[in-house]
Amino acid sequence: MADSGVIEAAVRSGAQWLVAALEAEGVDTIFGYPGGAIMPVYDALVDSRLRHILVRHEQAAALAADGYARASGRIGVCLATSGPGATNLLTGIANAYLDSVPLLAITGQVASGLMGTDAFQEVDIFGMSLPVVKHSFIVRRAEDVIAVVHEACAIARSGRPGPVLIDLPKDVAQSRSAAQPAQRHATPAPVIPDAATLTAAVALLARSERPLLYIGGGVGIARAEAALRAFIATTGMPSVCTLKALGAAGPSASHHLGMLGMHGSPAANHAVQSCDLLIVVGARFDDRATGKLDTFAPGARVVHIDADAAEIGKLRAADIGLAGDLSLALAALEQPLDIHAWREHCSALESLYRNRYDAPGTDIYAPALLRELSLAAGDQTIVSCDVGQHQMWVAQHWRIQAIHAHLTSGGLGAMGYGVPAALGAQLARPESRVICVTGDGSIMMNIQELATLRRYAIPVKIVLLDNACLGMVRQWQELFFAERYSEVDLSDNPDFVALARAFGIEAFGIERREQVPDAIRRLLDTPGPVLCHVRIDPRANVWPLVPPGKSNGEMMDSAA
Amino acid sequence: MIHHFEILLRDAEGALQRLLGTTERRGFRVVALHAQAGPGTICRVELTVDGTRDAGLLGRQLERLQEVQAATIMD
Ligand SMILES: Cc1ncc(C[n+]2csc(CCOP(=O)(O)OP(=O)(O)O)c2C)c(N)n1
Repeated sequence: MADSGVIEAAVRSGAQWLVAALEAEGVDTIFGYPGGAIMPVYDALVDSRLRHILVRHEQAAALAADGYARASGRIGVCLATSGPGATNLLTGIANAYLDSVPLLAITGQVASGLMGTDAFQEVDIFGMSLPVVKHSFIVRRAEDVIAVVHEACAIARSGRPGPVLIDLPKDVAQSRSAAQPAQRHATPAPVIPDAATLTAAVALLARSERPLLYIGGGVGIARAEAALRAFIATTGMPSVCTLKALGAAGPSASHHLGMLGMHGSPAANHAVQSCDLLIVVGARFDDRATGKLDTFAPGARVVHIDADAAEIGKLRAADIGLAGDLSLALAALEQPLDIHAWREHCSALESLYRNRYDAPGTDIYAPALLRELSLAAGDQTIVSCDVGQHQMWVAQHWRIQAIHAHLTSGGLGAMGYGVPAALGAQLARPESRVICVTGDGSIMMNIQELATLRRYAIPVKIVLLDNACLGMVRQWQELFFAERYSEVDLSDNPDFVALARAFGIEAFGIERREQVPDAIRRLLDTPGPVLCHVRIDPRANVWPLVPPGKSNGEMMDSAA
Repeated sequence: MIHHFEILLRDAEGALQRLLGTTERRGFRVVALHAQAGPGTICRVELTVDGTRDAGLLGRQLERLQEVQAATIMD
């Protein structure tokens, strides 16, 4: 194969063409698990320079590829066999779909002649995955493999990225053919937002007295952080962000009020409720961010900038919609603003609602631990989270300075994301430190991946916040279901330290506040993978909180 | 409310399934459908849907599909 990225014509099997095409796409790592229908591809891998990471469950292959993609900005690739291998990938594919992550999922399929006969390990993964893929293919001829791989990668990466599935029947993988030489697709040119609409938006912004930026994860996807920070510097505009945009505004942004929404900061939510113009950049009015939608930002006109035209006006009508490249749109809108009083108001909100870490008692206070750990770990660290209270504590208290330093399952909220995503991120960014913050519920959803950390000596640092329950669900039952606790008790958890050691992972536990500084040091100083088990109060809640169905203006706090 | 769409669809495996799936999942009922497919061709699909959501938004969601070249509301 030539280094030009063009594959030379020769006679090879479909599986060999697949591997060659992935190499030509610049893929270096794939996450997978073998089985009958995908065996020809595993055979071709023997002669390939692709690094294959054998996970211990296909869901983890997809989630690790997702973490790899988010941390690197490159496409993540996962591989599984037909039937159960393919269905196990689905959660990870859906995760990538809802968070717009470029992912290529390759599944083996039973031989063409057996498809549609309920053959052994046949499932219609093409049909099952339709609503959660950006696009998908069944490869019908070996000579099409290269073109399909290139097209799939281009679709996964372009515009609003997403997962693409390639289903490869076994006979197609085995049959030999001369491939049609196919080229990688060129990166499409950025879509320039409409000039007249831009002019109208510039004027609207100039007239507004209380403009606010509502920053979403699309900023990271579009690599528009630099343009965003320049925009903030010039306009001096106050800003809020979503879970997936934490870190976007950067360390130097003044008047950044943090995350909005259900577990956001009161400062952010109050600012949204009182602004007169929302500039929405790469965000989509998710219900966790808006609370009761018809009371969200009631006095605001809306300028909505998004790479995906179908997001504009989906949930909240935009006064001005700008579909296209975020950086170009932001640059066009950039202008100094005369909004001194509004800035002062936002600064006052910020100081009024600043986080406090002086919780009484000797129990370990998770928010303080996370804050201290993030400060000690430094800004080059990548944090990956599982799902639950600990995820929200990371969002509230971890010092996050760039979007790609924070991996979280935002759209799907999939427990089990944390460890595989951390593993993928660490392989993508070997020079970075990767910390996974997980819960005693979540870690058990992909606990088997401790074996993968061990096998490849992947030095992920795991902080397991153990409240002996499914904390987030317990909190909702306490607050919104009259304390009728139902199936949230995990007090018979395994001994996690012993469990990690059984996997060959160094592990230790802490349960009192004074142990925290040493634990942080030990965690950060351990060269290989390590797990720190942290016992916390089962009754701890995430505060503040917008109750479900309520307006963001009605936040509850612990005193309530 | 009833809306009529005219859709230019590239005839690839799964294209019709994606079109109908997206329409239903995004909140519309398919009332009538006419499509004539030919291999490797662009086919014209006439789709009538019923729903209370914004049909313009459905059009943009359909146009996100790789096989849909255009989705035009005819009413
Ligand atoms: C796969 C999956 N199943 C169920 C849920 C619902 N859920 C959300 S948070 C949560 C509890 C998580 O418990 P744990 O990981 O211990 O975290 P904690 O909330 O205690 O910090 C559950 C069950 C989910 N998000 N994902």
